[in-house]
Amino acid sequence: MDFRDTVHWLPLCIVTIRNLGLRLAWYFLQIIVSAWYSISVVGNLFESYFVSCGILKKYKSLHLGNVRYLAIVIESEEAYQISKVVKLLQWLDSIGITNVCLYDMNGVLKKSKETIFQKLKKAKSIEEVSEVVTHGAPDHMTLEFLSYVDGKEAVAKAANLIFVENLKQHNLGGELDVQVFLESHLNEALQIVGSKGPAPDLLLVYGPVRSHLGFPAWRLPYTEIIHMGSLNYMRYGSLIKAIYNFTKVHQNYGKFSLY
Amino acid sequence: MLSLRLPVPLLNTLTPPNINIKPINITLSSQTHPPIVSKRISNTAPPSAAIREEGTAVAGESPESLPAELVAELMPKHVAVIMDGNGRWAKLRGLPESAGHRAGLKSLAKLAKLCGSWGVEVLTVFMFSTQNWLRPKEEVDPLLRLAETALISTTECMKMEGIRFSVIGDLSDAPRSLQRLVIGASKDTKHNSRLQLIVAASYSGKYDVVQACKSVAEKVKDGILHLDDINENIIEQELETKCTEFPYPDLLIRTGGDFRVSNFLMWQLSYTELYFTSVFWPDFGKDDFLQALISFQQRKRTYGRRESQ
Repeated sequence: MDFRDTVHWLPLCIVTIRNLGLRLAWYFLQIIVSAWYSISVVGNLFESYFVSCGILKKYKSLHLGNVRYLAIVIESEEAYQISKVVKLLQWLDSIGITNVCLYDMNGVLKKSKETIFQKLKKAKSIEEVSEVVTHGAPDHMTLEFLSYVDGKEAVAKAANLIFVENLKQHNLGGELDVQVFLESHLNEALQIVGSKGPAPDLLLVYGPVRSHLGFPAWRLPYTEIIHMGSLNYMRYGSLIKAIYNFTKVHQNYGKFSLY
Repeated sequence: MLSLRLPVPLLNTLTPPNINIKPINITLSSQTHPPIVSKRISNTAPPSAAIREEGTAVAGESPESLPAELVAELMPKHVAVIMDGNGRWAKLRGLPESAGHRAGLKSLAKLAKLCGSWGVEVLTVFMFSTQNWLRPKEEVDPLLRLAETALISTTECMKMEGIRFSVIGDLSDAPRSLQRLVIGASKDTKHNSRLQLIVAASYSGKYDVVQACKSVAEKVKDGILHLDDINENIIEQELETKCTEFPYPDLLIRTGGDFRVSNFLMWQLSYTELYFTSVFWPDFGKDDFLQALISFQQRKRTYGRRESQ
């Protein structure tokens, strides 16, 4: 090989080695990132286990002052697993959560109300209690069951109620005032048509999708929404962690600068 | 730190792609199923003009091609964004809050460009809520002035780029000058069709429902509707999002680390995929949007129905 061949061959060789080196470095980086992700998933599993066992001290005592009303959205297909739903409610009871709203789009949980109340002796329906106790330590859990009809349909019914009342006044000689619609009137009308529960502070979604699946939107303006994954894989540690993280959140409701 | 997008497939390329050094996004990761690797079909978005960061058009700037990680057929038609974190972004850098909002506008311009290039038809952004009027005047007034400046500098650009500008919300308390600019920009761009940019200003989800009910009441008063006709569909038709063909967002992105919708598009979000990230809005860029879209495309959206239906 003469000098010219060497001059041509050498840069090509360098480029090839460089490209090979970069490719190896890229593969190595991907392996590290994949490994790190796997460690992170395993770490989460262990953390959940340690939280369940009470090993992690910070999760031992939860200050539940901010969790006055908790909502659970369950994807309707998974809502048929009533034993899991009952277990979830028992966990919440043991944590100290006393006011829970259960929602699934198709009303599967509503239909299983009796079964759930049979298994949770201390629980009462929201219809039975005169008002939801949001402070103090009530001796029972209050359960509210909702489905899709309690969302947009309820708002339409409430709106209709306001129209009808307004028309009655018009017929009695009053003026038909379309400006009668204020947020406060709609709130009152919703109570009358049966939408009694307050806005949840925290909403936990169990299911494959990260969506609230039609939960009554009127009640969700400032609700914290946490996706918990499938009900099939629910874990006590994850539940504690979600509630703990929520208790650390500061809400300014849009009024003040968020720093 | 690396952008987290896993599991990471081994790419068969001679030169590796750029490694993104970004803060890690805290997403609502399910602690059960690992993410499913999306199909890797390379597609390019329809040709479209690009928007420069400052909102001025750049003739001949090529559109962003659709990344290989995304499937064109699974792109959301309507993306909604709660642009949170401008103030905290500025504070971290020792800058005034207005600097955060200016940086936020640049992020919005970039996102609009990406949406237009990647086939998103509607982008709705939450700029200012009804509750924000309760903030100190020293904070609100500069924001309104910034909005006026932005509209003046970007209206021509939007006209050229095929962006249709719309505003939802109650601007009756806003300065007249801003109201005139909004009306002008909406009118000048109404025939554009590449991307509809809806800005929610002085808006809240509850306000939207209430004004829809008022509209329905007007129609009942005028004899156009009967009381018996009123149902949720009638109310839906009167919501302010009637300005678009696709009123229901497929994907909602909230930046800034909070996990709530803050009274934004409440009626419209029933089946919307919710994506929360800790990245502050001025830092939300192409990679972050890509991660949100990958997460969206991996989800099984059943709209509440069983898989067998």
